[in-house]
Amino acid sequence: MFEIEIFTKEGFKDSRGEHVLSKISEVEIKGITKVDYASVYIIDGDINKTEAKTIASELLSDKITEKFEISSNSDSKKSKSSVIEVLYKKGVTDTVSESVIKAIKDLGITKEVRVKTGHKYYLHGNISKTVLDKIAVKLLANTLVQEYKIK
Amino acid sequence: MKKVKALILKTAGTNCDYETQTAFELCGAAADVVHINSLVEKKNKIFEYDILVFPGGFSYGDDIASGKILANEIKNKLGDKVKKFSLSGKPVIGICNGFQVLVKMGLLPDPELFEQTSTLYYNDSDKFECRWTYFKIEKKIRNESSCIWTKNLPDVITLPVAHGEGKFISINDKLLEELNKNNQIVFRYSTKDGKTPQYPLTPNGSVEQIAGICNTKGNVFGLMPHPERYVLALQHPSREGFDGKYGWGKIILQNAVDFVK
Repeated sequence: MFEIEIFTKEGFKDSRGEHVLSKISEVEIKGITKVDYASVYIIDGDINKTEAKTIASELLSDKITEKFEISSNSDSKKSKSSVIEVLYKKGVTDTVSESVIKAIKDLGITKEVRVKTGHKYYLHGNISKTVLDKIAVKLLANTLVQEYKIK
Repeated sequence: MKKVKALILKTAGTNCDYETQTAFELCGAAADVVHINSLVEKKNKIFEYDILVFPGGFSYGDDIASGKILANEIKNKLGDKVKKFSLSGKPVIGICNGFQVLVKMGLLPDPELFEQTSTLYYNDSDKFECRWTYFKIEKKIRNESSCIWTKNLPDVITLPVAHGEGKFISINDKLLEELNKNNQIVFRYSTKDGKTPQYPLTPNGSVEQIAGICNTKGNVFGLMPHPERYVLALQHPSREGFDGKYGWGKIILQNAVDFVK
């Protein structure tokens, strides 16, 4: 299983991260200095690292403005910032994943894959778990259909 | 006289196909809306047409990024045919989502290279921006650019935009210099009197207010605004138009039809 994260490259405006930061200040939460946004694609199936890299570079990221990071389930990632990950709950149709599966086949990778899509928000600053929960529920996740994890 | 034939390529999520078909018909063309699956089945059908159109919409729901999945599909399944069509000099246009498809598969700015060297990224506002705005077509562009789509237009025109990802960015400054030098930047967002605009008249934060570019030959053209939404004065909020009944979009599409004739 590979987790592919897509970030905006340095030097380009991370509109989504900035938008979330401004929403956080609107609800009067203080102490957060920056938010970095990453879209997340979890790809499960019989694909190897080279194929995961092709999917990330040719399909999931924009060559001009974005960069990607690939981790497999054996990797343990440590981040200096607090991370809120938002994914669909089990049983909720993930329409983007269906498009990604089709597009992977268009790329010429015909192996069966399962895909989950989501969002990661890297919050920089001094933030308590209670505040992270508040941000997740109030601003980032629709808890009717999505679940979130704080990492 | 031979009827000019336009192929309007649609897929799941395309939603400007019939409006674009009607606009081309108004310009005297016979326009067919063709689903990508049927074109993939009969690839050479593309060469039965004189004009190739990538219309606006939300192909594949804008999943991953606007135009990305369709660009990937076309490049992998029809790439050689689309490239050959473009290099033949026949008119090709990508409107809004179609423009995103053209740059993401690399047909613009250089169909010969056919590699992505620019992009249309999220609007600076991180919002979907939908309004009428103005576009500057510099005199130099009209006189020196080889773009067949922008002939006979005045200095400034108005057209509607509707997009969430329209911020034009080139891979580096060198490419931007070349686009300028070759007069490939044919549309820039502007004020009503042709000056550099502020938001919201520039809806996305595009580099150098770029709203539309063409290849050096001038037959492949991509633009964020929707010419098909302003072919009749009736489509304008104040019913403005030229000759009492047409919109500026008609001139753009008519240019391609007349070019083929």
